[in-house]
Amino acid sequence: MGTKQSYQNRIELLQGTLDMLILQTLQWGPQHGYGIIQALRAHSGDVLQVETGSLYPALHRLERQGWVRSEWKQTESNQRARYYRITVAGKKRLASDLSRWARIVDAIGLVIQGRPEEEQA
Amino acid sequence: MKGLRAFSLRRRKDDLREEIESHLCMAIADRVAQGESAEAARQAAIREFGNPPLVQEVTRVTWGWLWLERFGQDLRYALRQMRRSPGFAASVIGTLALGIGAATAMFTVVDHMLLRPLLYKDANRLVAISEADRTGKGANDVPWQDIQEWRSRNHSFTAIAFTGSMNGRNYIETKNSAAEVYGVRASANLFDVLGVQPALGRGFFSDSSGADEAKNAQTIILSDAAWRGTFQTDPNILGKPIRINDTSYTVVGVMPRGFSYPKDIPQLSQVWIAAQIGNADQGRTYDALHFEAIGRLRSGVTLAAARAEMRALQQSIAPEYTDPSIRKDHSTVNLARYTGTLVGSGTRRALLALLAASGVLWLIAIVNVTSLLLARGTARQREIAMRGALGASRARVVQQMMVEGLLLSTIAAALGIGVAVAGMRLAEIARPRSLNLDLSSHLNFPILAALCGLTILSALCSAAWPALLAVCAPIEPALRQGGLHSGAGRRQHRLRGILVAAEIAMSLTLLMVCGLLLRTIYNLRQVPLGFRSDHIIVANLSIPAYRFAGQNLVPALYQPLLERAQHMHGVQSAGLMSEVPLGQTFHITLSLYLNGRTVSAMLKPVTPGIQRIFGFPMLAGRFFNAQDSPTSEAVVVVNPAFAREYAPDKHDPRSILGQTMWRLSKNRPMRIIGILDNERQTSIAQPSQPEVDVCLCQITPDSGIYQPSTIAMDLALRTDRPMNQVIPELRAILKQASPELENASITTMNQIVQDSYGSQRLAAHLLECFGGAALLLCVAGLYGLLAYVVTQRTREIGVRIALGAQRSTLLWMVLRQAGALLLVGVLAGSALALASGRLLRGFLFGVSAHDGWTLAAAAAVLLASGLLAAYLPAHRAAHVNPLEALRSE
Repeated sequence: MGTKQSYQNRIELLQGTLDMLILQTLQWGPQHGYGIIQALRAHSGDVLQVETGSLYPALHRLERQGWVRSEWKQTESNQRARYYRITVAGKKRLASDLSRWARIVDAIGLVIQGRPEEEQA
Repeated sequence: MKGLRAFSLRRRKDDLREEIESHLCMAIADRVAQGESAEAARQAAIREFGNPPLVQEVTRVTWGWLWLERFGQDLRYALRQMRRSPGFAASVIGTLALGIGAATAMFTVVDHMLLRPLLYKDANRLVAISEADRTGKGANDVPWQDIQEWRSRNHSFTAIAFTGSMNGRNYIETKNSAAEVYGVRASANLFDVLGVQPALGRGFFSDSSGADEAKNAQTIILSDAAWRGTFQTDPNILGKPIRINDTSYTVVGVMPRGFSYPKDIPQLSQVWIAAQIGNADQGRTYDALHFEAIGRLRSGVTLAAARAEMRALQQSIAPEYTDPSIRKDHSTVNLARYTGTLVGSGTRRALLALLAASGVLWLIAIVNVTSLLLARGTARQREIAMRGALGASRARVVQQMMVEGLLLSTIAAALGIGVAVAGMRLAEIARPRSLNLDLSSHLNFPILAALCGLTILSALCSAAWPALLAVCAPIEPALRQGGLHSGAGRRQHRLRGILVAAEIAMSLTLLMVCGLLLRTIYNLRQVPLGFRSDHIIVANLSIPAYRFAGQNLVPALYQPLLERAQHMHGVQSAGLMSEVPLGQTFHITLSLYLNGRTVSAMLKPVTPGIQRIFGFPMLAGRFFNAQDSPTSEAVVVVNPAFAREYAPDKHDPRSILGQTMWRLSKNRPMRIIGILDNERQTSIAQPSQPEVDVCLCQITPDSGIYQPSTIAMDLALRTDRPMNQVIPELRAILKQASPELENASITTMNQIVQDSYGSQRLAAHLLECFGGAALLLCVAGLYGLLAYVVTQRTREIGVRIALGAQRSTLLWMVLRQAGALLLVGVLAGSALALASGRLLRGFLFGVSAHDGWTLAAAAAVLLASGLLAAYLPAHRAAHVNPLEALRSE
């Protein structure tokens, strides 16, 4: 019971961010679920450990919204796997997510570095 | 489409599973490539991945289908649960079905009888106006002249209309026979006052004066039932002439279906003609036509205000009655809402009492099921905790329990409809003919839906409640102990105790009421009838007097008919009587003069043979015999009630013999020659009223009582032959006498006696069922609770026995618990029963509504069956094997 709740919490917490990260990963080429996790871990320097319970719902949701498309293909090691590919709509979405993300990071940065006395003045 | 969807859903699920499998395969392959052993790699990959089924599930949530899938799962699971404990499922379903069915059937009947929407516009503004003596007693019909005065002088009513029956029996003549019809003389404004217009054609012409009946002479309006029955819904009926009792009328209208005034019997074949007021009818004498009046209240005028105005008005009208004996009965007026007069107060109370009883039964059923579901939920706390530990969410567990409740209560609701239909059938069979109750109506669906909805809701709540408690409780102790000793368990335990006690209290109330009615029936059956009822066949004849216009009906119809009936094969004797005892067909009440006093008595024209048929015992004097003829001295026989009331010597009722009464007809006084023992006349519960029997053959057309005796007559036969053999022959004889008589209703005297128990009998039968069902439910509830308690405490009991507790102590421990519940229930129930007895008071005969013995008996039955129900679990507790009990957990 507790386990499942933690999944759901994380999905909520990361919702926008996880979608963006997945789309960003797929920018580099079609990838399967396992590959996405590996890629995110590798690119984040082992910091981002995405749970399967978050990843797969997110992938299926993205597919439903038309931002990714999936197909079954063979991997190099001859394993059948479901590959996700970013669509044109997905690319647009990624662009707007990224710009929003940049704005948020800027805004948060401003708040953290900001001087409260200025606001009072 | 649906199949396709299900198919694609299944494929997507397979797809997802494969996707996750491939994920795991890749993870394992990576680890193996890094040099881990295959087994270690697999375990690590799975640990890293998490819970595959759970991942699948949360992924499927994004598909948006999951609720349906979960529902299907829950349903399958619930069905499995039902199969695993069929006893539990059967008791829940049976209990609820019984409750829903009984309540729906009763609600339907009551709704039909009491709450049926009327066709009249603003029916609650219609007020019936009758006249009464100074004390307000009576509901006498009103002479035309009074109505005219009211119309011109009152300010309470927008209009007043009136109706009166057409004389005698009325028959519409058709090609080859004649159909009886109820004929009503009406004021021209009747339909306007009622606010109902004909479905076909027009009503009577009326202007504002209301006194324009003459303009509508020779026109007639048919009821829907008459139009359908007699004229086969002839679309060209308007303008056609029809003949009623040899008089021709032109049909101008047909009333809408369901309209029936003043009798309110929608299936009645009925006609309305405009009342023609002759010169004689404009006076205030016995000879004038009298009417039932109905007024429409002006808006804003209350009934009380109208009553006050009309009473003041009548006070100024009453002196215009020149005959004081007539004036007496017209001194004041009574006003009553018309809607309230439609169902007799006795029937109304009976129906409401039955309604309350069925409501109580429904409540008992709900309470019982609630406590059963609570017990089960508590017993399953361990299972719930286990499922929580395995990752099921709270909402999921609660939802699943609710689906179980839903499944059980839905099946119960479906069965409940069946029970309701069967109940209506039963009531239809059991209903006495005297009760004007149309049960052929369909079930009342809004009520059925409401009851089913409430039942399902309550089942859902009681199913979800333990689950809610369980999921809120911490998982670990529940897993370790099965949740037995948690606070929630004890609280629920107390709740169940209260529920069972409430159930016992309500059952006691039903049992008490049932007991009172059974005693009423018993008392009624003990009442001496004053006549024999075996081997008697009775034909109730509506006399087509118009066929014998100008003739004396006695020699023209009655005597030849009697003659032929007497000579039927196997008939020992035959007789005529205007109304057989308890027949409730046609009363004649007349005022006569005796020693200068007005005496009022029920009058029955009879033939001499009737005494032999019914075995009426003579207390004094003689009954009529063949020597009493139209030319011999006019003689009458009275009953003791008459003798006690009117005998010249108060201490010797026999002194009435030889007295002469004034009079049969001109110059023909009647001498009292005999006293017949009292017989029950209208109902078994009512003591005999003064009665005067007249020899039918002495009645002639110039006699004051000739007219009433040409309306209805009962032909009674004493025969040993079975009824179904006699009836065809009897019908042939009746047809020969007059074609209209062929369809007379024929029954046995035993049946008439049975019917006279009337609503009491029906109510008693229904309450027997309700009381029995309540007792059963109550016993089941108590047994369920104790059996559950014992099961839950098996381990504790085992420990006690192991430590040396006496088995008798354990037996006593369980019985004491049952005793406490029973005692609380019986105490509360007694108060409830005594309070509800008031509802029944008018309904009982020979027993008080607060009868202690009945209450004691009901309580004893309940206590005995309750203790019996408790004994089984108590016995089991006392014989727990300590070794097994301790090992079992």
